[in-house]
Amino acid sequence: MNNSFERLIDGMTVTLRNEVLTRLDDEFARGQVFGIINLLNNMRLRADWSVNFLQQEVNAQREAFAKVAATLASSGQKLPSLGSVCANSATPAPALDAPALIKMREEGNQALIELLRWLWSDPQGVSQEQKASIEVALRRAMRSEVEVELKHLAKPMFAEMSQGTEATNP
Amino acid sequence: MNTINDANLPGLVATYLSKETGRPITVDGLIRFPVGFSWLTYGLRVMGLEDAPAGRELILRLGPDYGLFAPYSAYPQALAMESLQGSGVPVPASFWRSDDASILGAPFLFCERVRGDAVLPWASAALAPLEESFRLTLATQFIDALGTLHRTDWRSKSISVMGQGLTLANAAEKQIAFWQSEYERWAMRAYPLFEWGLHWLRQNRPLAPRLSIIHGDYRTGNFLEEGGHITAILDWELTHIGDPHEDLGWASLPMYMGGTKLVCRLIEPERFFELYQAQVPFTVSATSVRFYRVFSLMKLAATHMAAARCFEDGRFNDLRMPAMGSQIIPVLRQMEKAIEAP
Repeated sequence: MNNSFERLIDGMTVTLRNEVLTRLDDEFARGQVFGIINLLNNMRLRADWSVNFLQQEVNAQREAFAKVAATLASSGQKLPSLGSVCANSATPAPALDAPALIKMREEGNQALIELLRWLWSDPQGVSQEQKASIEVALRRAMRSEVEVELKHLAKPMFAEMSQGTEATNP
Repeated sequence: MNTINDANLPGLVATYLSKETGRPITVDGLIRFPVGFSWLTYGLRVMGLEDAPAGRELILRLGPDYGLFAPYSAYPQALAMESLQGSGVPVPASFWRSDDASILGAPFLFCERVRGDAVLPWASAALAPLEESFRLTLATQFIDALGTLHRTDWRSKSISVMGQGLTLANAAEKQIAFWQSEYERWAMRAYPLFEWGLHWLRQNRPLAPRLSIIHGDYRTGNFLEEGGHITAILDWELTHIGDPHEDLGWASLPMYMGGTKLVCRLIEPERFFELYQAQVPFTVSATSVRFYRVFSLMKLAATHMAAARCFEDGRFNDLRMPAMGSQIIPVLRQMEKAIEAP
């Protein structure tokens, strides 16, 4: 997901109040909607994104940085200066909560972009083989993030959201 | 933030149109259509116009400052619609417009209300496909209109102001730069794959065969049909001057196939390109179509970022926004696949 957990919960409760309850006449159904709002409010206080998939994404980045560092070290060169992100790229990442992992993933993705730009700038003293190896490592990290995200994404329901009806199997 | 109050709109519209026409105008029957994520669309009846004193049905479009692509200007779509009058492309007639938000609460545009219904682009594989003769009839008109659009001599029309500084060589770069700046405005996190796509696009920019009016969102869902007849091509807010391959790349995106293997749920891809080729005075380039398909996926990912941003900022509470936002990564994956496709 690309929105914050808290904002999604807030958006859902506002929509239930403003767009669903105002069009719902059945007393029991209205009570159930209030039940959902109550549960969502509790989830907002107690829950957050799963650390499991965030950890996988961060680990994939750290593997890539370690690979890039090893590739460059073989010819006596160092990683371009990317602060603590690449300097401390041992895997796996430490067990952290979701906000810390989201921050770490963001720093990792920024570092990935910086490395890509550095690679595209045709850096001197780096052989074609090293460049190819670094590109493979960076692309693997990007793909890993995509694969982890796709594994944790429900099938989209745009047809249902547009039509307001359940799509049935033929 | 400017506010739009539906209850006050008829009075505001009547005041504005009375001033513009110098006649006593009254307005009734205002309804808001639940379509789109960007401009708000209303139907209304205006009484007192000189050429229709008994009343005329109009469409009012408002670009609210909380909308997906805000801030808005009514001018691009107005210029496109007025430049295409009489061209053979079915477009509603456009009337009054202004970017002055103090008048109706947002930039606005009045245009003709055209009869017809939109065919949804999202229909899932689980739903019945469009009946064959119906879809092929629509496909022919859909392609004819696109060919006519791309053949239109825009240099003699008011839309020519949008083509200033544009050349066959820089058309692709202008669009890449525009969407890159939008990405930088909307993205709430770093997307290395998006950067990868930008880099690939810049390495593979094609020379445009000609400069044409580009719709920018040419697909099922953005035209009206009645009884198998396309009555209007709608939603011109992304219109610009550019390489005609751009509309081909967008229309043939897998997202608009609705679970079929048909371009826009209408026609087989080979036949789509064959019929389009017969409409235009240049050779359609498979390389350029591929480039603009990658570009379109980059643009679609940026659009989904806009939706996520719009919702996160609290500007819009429509839950379809975060649902669109959840599709950024799948679209970027499709973009990468399109780059790797032979």
